[in-house]
Amino acid sequence: MPLLCMKQVCKSFGKVQANQKVNLTVERGEIHALLGENGAGKTTLMNILYGIYQPDSGSILMDDQPVSISSPGEAISLKIGMVHQHFMLVPTLSVSQNITLGIKERGYPFTDRKEVDRKITRVSREYGLDIDPTAIIEDLSVGVLQRVEIIKLLYHQAELLILDEPTAVLTPQETENLFAVLKRLKEDGRSIIIITHRIAEVQSIADRVTVLRDGARVGCDNIGNVGEARLSEMMIGRQLDTAVRETSHQNRLNEAAVLSLENVSLNGRNVNILSKLTLELKPGEILGLAGVDGNGQKELAEVIVGIRRPDSGKVLFEGNDVTILGVRKRKRIGMAYVPDDRHHDGLILDMDLSSNLILNAHDQPPFARFHFLNDQVRRRHAEQTITDYQVKTPGVGTLVRYLSGGNQQKIILARELDGIPKLIVASQPTRGLDIGAEEFVNKLLLAQRDRGAGILLISADLDQLIKLSDRIAVIFDGRITGLLNNHAGIDLAEIGLKMAGVA
Amino acid sequence: MDTGLIGILTALLAASVRMATPLTLAGLGETFSEKSGILNIGLEGIMLSGAFFSFIFAYYSQSILLGLLGGCLGGVFISMIHGYLSVRLNVDQTIAGLALNFLALGLTSFFFLMAFGRTTDLPECPVVHQIAIPLLSDIPIIGPAFFNQDPFIYLTFLLVALCYVVLHRTEWGINIQATGEHPRAADAAGISVSGTRYRAALLNGVFGGLGGSYLTLALLGFFMENITSGKGYIALVVVILGRRHPVGVLMAAILVGAAEALQFRMQTMGFGIPSQVFNMFPYVITVLVLLFSIGKNRTPAALGEPYIRNNR
Repeated sequence: MPLLCMKQVCKSFGKVQANQKVNLTVERGEIHALLGENGAGKTTLMNILYGIYQPDSGSILMDDQPVSISSPGEAISLKIGMVHQHFMLVPTLSVSQNITLGIKERGYPFTDRKEVDRKITRVSREYGLDIDPTAIIEDLSVGVLQRVEIIKLLYHQAELLILDEPTAVLTPQETENLFAVLKRLKEDGRSIIIITHRIAEVQSIADRVTVLRDGARVGCDNIGNVGEARLSEMMIGRQLDTAVRETSHQNRLNEAAVLSLENVSLNGRNVNILSKLTLELKPGEILGLAGVDGNGQKELAEVIVGIRRPDSGKVLFEGNDVTILGVRKRKRIGMAYVPDDRHHDGLILDMDLSSNLILNAHDQPPFARFHFLNDQVRRRHAEQTITDYQVKTPGVGTLVRYLSGGNQQKIILARELDGIPKLIVASQPTRGLDIGAEEFVNKLLLAQRDRGAGILLISADLDQLIKLSDRIAVIFDGRITGLLNNHAGIDLAEIGLKMAGVA
Repeated sequence: MDTGLIGILTALLAASVRMATPLTLAGLGETFSEKSGILNIGLEGIMLSGAFFSFIFAYYSQSILLGLLGGCLGGVFISMIHGYLSVRLNVDQTIAGLALNFLALGLTSFFFLMAFGRTTDLPECPVVHQIAIPLLSDIPIIGPAFFNQDPFIYLTFLLVALCYVVLHRTEWGINIQATGEHPRAADAAGISVSGTRYRAALLNGVFGGLGGSYLTLALLGFFMENITSGKGYIALVVVILGRRHPVGVLMAAILVGAAEALQFRMQTMGFGIPSQVFNMFPYVITVLVLLFSIGKNRTPAALGEPYIRNNR
């Protein structure tokens, strides 16, 4: 008798069918992977199970009993727990307050904190999840926050644990620790659903896998029965033509640097965001910047392109000091910026595609003459771009808001690469994209490198960095903690340690 | 005792505490509301409605207790409309609050005119009287200010302590804070976001209504059009100044109250300066203090944001 059975679950948001007649069966004591691309409907399905969304139709059975889960509170009482991709922790409260949030412990509402803390410590020791119950959430790093989330579920004695992309924010070592904990939990008889889009992860941790594509289930099997190629094909619906870095490509590492940062420091309110950071980027190379999110990557990118001014230190572009130059001037002399937050920093969502495409050059010929815009030129430019970049859109006048993430990213890339830049700062350029779009971006970056541009590739995805970079720098706490040449035998563990600031 | 500097100081402090009381009460209610994520600019309307209904109830029943009840109901009436608009209909909370202020102003003026017509001598209602607490009220300067006042003021002190305990020492307070900081997390933990916010709105109405009642049932003994004259807005400032902490709200209210008491006293001293200049005094103080407390404040992350569970 399976622990959980979801039958024919449908859910739509407006016209978008997020789940179409999805079936999912989870046995007691198994780790079940829910594999699919971004937007395949994995998270929606789990949010239905956790009571955040209500299904349009379909049924849920726990231990063969039909259940209706209309709120997370009911899910919790059915011993279902979920670790969301964006952690559900209140930043101003302590670890222990967050863990008991919503449950009535002894003494409620005057809960005996000390006893709760002791209980938390006991649970955390049992599973080797080290934690200080009195720490305030906003002071903790993402790795620790995830531990808090998992302990929260254990504290609630959840029998079915749902983890949504749990490794996205972790260093390789942290991932290993997490998997060890998950295996312990499985041995204790608990069931785990792990949402992921990484095939390698599925193979190393899961017992069974259910693959979703475009909101529908395409298959379910024991992990031993399906290979990597088969999973990849099920997930994206076709065979993948992956980007490959030409290692024979003539590096121009002995040429003058296109970008040098000299002792760049940037102060936050109470902390140093960047401290005396020095880095050099040569033309024709991709320099990957590895690091856990929030260690100064975004700020570094913004210092380089001129959105932020460093408190001390210099930014040199082709040997010239550009530290005091504004963004527009820097772009004019050959910098390009692909920001990590597409919607916020990269596009004007409520403006149409053709206008977004000329944002860097709208005040210059041929797009403008004597401060008047030339609609025809803009339109023709947009049509050309749509063909060149294979943008899927109803037309050039479509608002960018209505394009998919991959197509939005293509608009940004097309705009930024238009001036044949010498330096490209690409921050998380494939985050949230499906595999097809990701490969498109990867190939584009490699082509730019082969053309001779210097690229700073900031990514939290180590696989991507290793695939694309010529050299890999590691950032931790606003400092460069390591710089390695990328070759076949590169030491992942070493990078991981440097990401955690240990080595 | 009432001679010289000490006498003036004593009287001034006592007046400050009286001025501070309606601000503190309304501020406590707004603290609950804002901590839960609802920014209710309609505090002025809540106080005005509270003042009106407390007067009506007290006038017709000649009972102060019924007057208090009326004040609370009047406040709750306005705050629950705001609550419904914010929680259920997800409207812009600031606009809703502003609209309610004007609604309360119009409604109370209209009802008052209906009930009493145009009169030159205002109808009066019973008021509460001072009760001196033995021994404590004999302490020089602070004795008369804190321990020789009306029961309203003692109740206010009690409520400050109670609110502190609820907000900072119980799970209820944690639930409210979670709702205002990260409603999605609160929801995921099984806390009802809308329930918590409705309860906070209810408290806001009760406290704001009490604050309004204080004007009619303690300070003045009558009602007139726009009797609150901006006290609700000042109370909003007091909440920010007091950093949404009950004790902080009390301190901030006393500070602003002192500015107001000082202003009244200076007007009667005959400086030959137009009274409007003195009228500005509390507001100047408010602006100055706000200026110096910039950056030290932390607003709840979801303040003013509607929570829609099904939103992607």
